[in-house]
Amino acid sequence: MFWRLLWKLLRGSGGRLAVAILALVSCAMVVSALLNLEFDIERKLTQEFRTLGANLLISPRNAQITGSSPAEVMIESEVSAAIQSVKDPNVMAAAPFLYVVGSAQNTAVVIAGTHLEELPKLEPAWRIEGEWKSSQAQQTACLVGRNVAQQLKLAVGSSVSLTYLKKNAQLKVAGIIDAGGAEDNQVFLELAEAQDLAGLPGQISFAQLSVSGTTTGISHYAARLAAALPAYEVKPIRQITEAEGDLLSRIRLLIVSMIVLISALTALCVLGTMAALAMERRQDVGLMKALGGSIGRIVTLFMAEVGVLGAAGGFIGAILGLELSRWMGQRVFGQAISSRWEIFPWTIILTVAIALAGALPLRLLGKVKPAIIFREQ
Amino acid sequence: MATLVRVDDLRKEFGKVRALAGVSFNVEAGEWIAIMGPSGSGKTTLINILGGLDTPTSGQAIVDEVDVARLDESGLTRFRAQKIGFIFQQFHLVPYLTAVENVMLAQYFHSATDEKEAQLALERVGLADRIEHLPGALSGGEQQRVAVARALINHPKLILADEPTGNLDEANEETVIQLFRELHSEGHTILMVTHDPAIGNLADRRIEFAHGRLVKVTPSNDASRNAYR
Ligand SMILES: Nc1ncnc2c1ncn2[C@@H]1O[C@H](COP(=O)(O)OP(=O)(O)OP(=O)(O)O)[C@@H](O)[C@H]1O
Ligand SMILES: [Mg+2]
Repeated sequence: MFWRLLWKLLRGSGGRLAVAILALVSCAMVVSALLNLEFDIERKLTQEFRTLGANLLISPRNAQITGSSPAEVMIESEVSAAIQSVKDPNVMAAAPFLYVVGSAQNTAVVIAGTHLEELPKLEPAWRIEGEWKSSQAQQTACLVGRNVAQQLKLAVGSSVSLTYLKKNAQLKVAGIIDAGGAEDNQVFLELAEAQDLAGLPGQISFAQLSVSGTTTGISHYAARLAAALPAYEVKPIRQITEAEGDLLSRIRLLIVSMIVLISALTALCVLGTMAALAMERRQDVGLMKALGGSIGRIVTLFMAEVGVLGAAGGFIGAILGLELSRWMGQRVFGQAISSRWEIFPWTIILTVAIALAGALPLRLLGKVKPAIIFREQ
Repeated sequence: MATLVRVDDLRKEFGKVRALAGVSFNVEAGEWIAIMGPSGSGKTTLINILGGLDTPTSGQAIVDEVDVARLDESGLTRFRAQKIGFIFQQFHLVPYLTAVENVMLAQYFHSATDEKEAQLALERVGLADRIEHLPGALSGGEQQRVAVARALINHPKLILADEPTGNLDEANEETVIQLFRELHSEGHTILMVTHDPAIGNLADRRIEFAHGRLVKVTPSNDASRNAYR
């Protein structure tokens, strides 16, 4: 009978409750979309942040890169062995660097040896005119920074001659890099070439990695790598990881406050509807009391009704919300946000709670005095 | 015959208004009492107190060995569910419940529902073909008969009816009054407020009120009883 009564109550006041249902559905929709976003935001944001470049640095202890050659160097094979051994799917790119200051056509330039094909993965934001790696294998390729190219009047395909101490290398410009930073003043060539030129075979100045994941995930990886490389220093590049964490917590705060605000507004809307409904139902409540219905049972009945409304609204809203978040993901990140089904129960629980909070006026029905009700007509 | 209702010096005041100013009388089990009197004389107030819908200011109102004045809220709730069957002038059916569901509502608050039994109760009052109708689709007399079926479903000790025919036309009044006659002959105890002396004459006794006091008690005789249409 309880469920039958509940069903009749819901049907009996369907029109009145439509507003409340609408409010609950839209609330559940926005909340589930936001929750979905909130669960996924970290992954999405860290992916976005990887375009900012390397965020992990392996360097010699007390590294100083002053003078024409690095004061301290690292053994390339040790570093690459360590990176190989500490496997992590979040490592997007890793590249060793050997820096020396030499000259090109009698102008001083920073010569950087690295694995050229790793550069676009390590620094996705860099723009290039030409190619990352020369397609013609016969001549050794290099990439020159925008400023260097301007100064030396180099274009893609030009030849450039690099000098370090007594040694000399003849290279072909495969591409011109626009990094928007210090790299625009550098010349990049394959690590082996640079080591040869600098007379430092098998040695590097430092290595950079791009690791995706949360701030803590990155620190964990850094710690594991550090354990494998006790002789060197492994540390996150702080500005970037901190900016990530900061932005993340701000977006989180925004999402949470929006959820709170929307919940409060919805509860108010439900409150208004229920207050009107409570007035309408005074007669029915008076009658139920006269028939021997206890306050507890009567209020439970109405609360259950509201609970069902909340659950139904939450269910429909959650489905719509997951769609909404998919759409938002597409718009904001240009990538679909994966639907998190664990959000489903949370959204429904929250919506039921909001509905019950909004149904507080129904509790006033407990105070209805049947004797007065029957006198009203 | 056992005394079912004992009212002793019952008083009820609403602020300065004295609705009941010291009323005493007894009702034997199986008796049909008509409560009469001008408007505002305290008839509904008495019914509400006997039915546990209201509490007296002072005095005793004992129904089936229970002093209603001493019951707390939950005690009153149990009392209403177990001992009283109400019939109102305005019927007070729940509009979105069918006839049978309105009867089942009383079962629900009393103990457990039994749809078959509820249907039988409606058949008893001549509504076998109205069982699934909503109150809005029933005539006033039919609605009041549903209310009678509802009042009887839990086998109450006492039936309290406040002007049960007040809202009915003559034909409907007759069917409902016929029902009360049957209930009376089956041994139910009935307290019924009415303005109609002809209906009052059908009862075993008429109790007349004025200004919150009991002013006259008249036993009916068979002659007056047969005078009703
Ligand atoms: N809740 C209340 N608050 C204040 N006064 C009340 C209340 N209920 C009843 N009264 C007063 O008590 C008196 C008796 O009322 P009651 O309803 O018992 O009269 P009644 O005999 O049933 O009248 P009627 O024939 O019109 O139904 C009236 O003067 C009424 O105004
Ligand atoms: Mg009255």
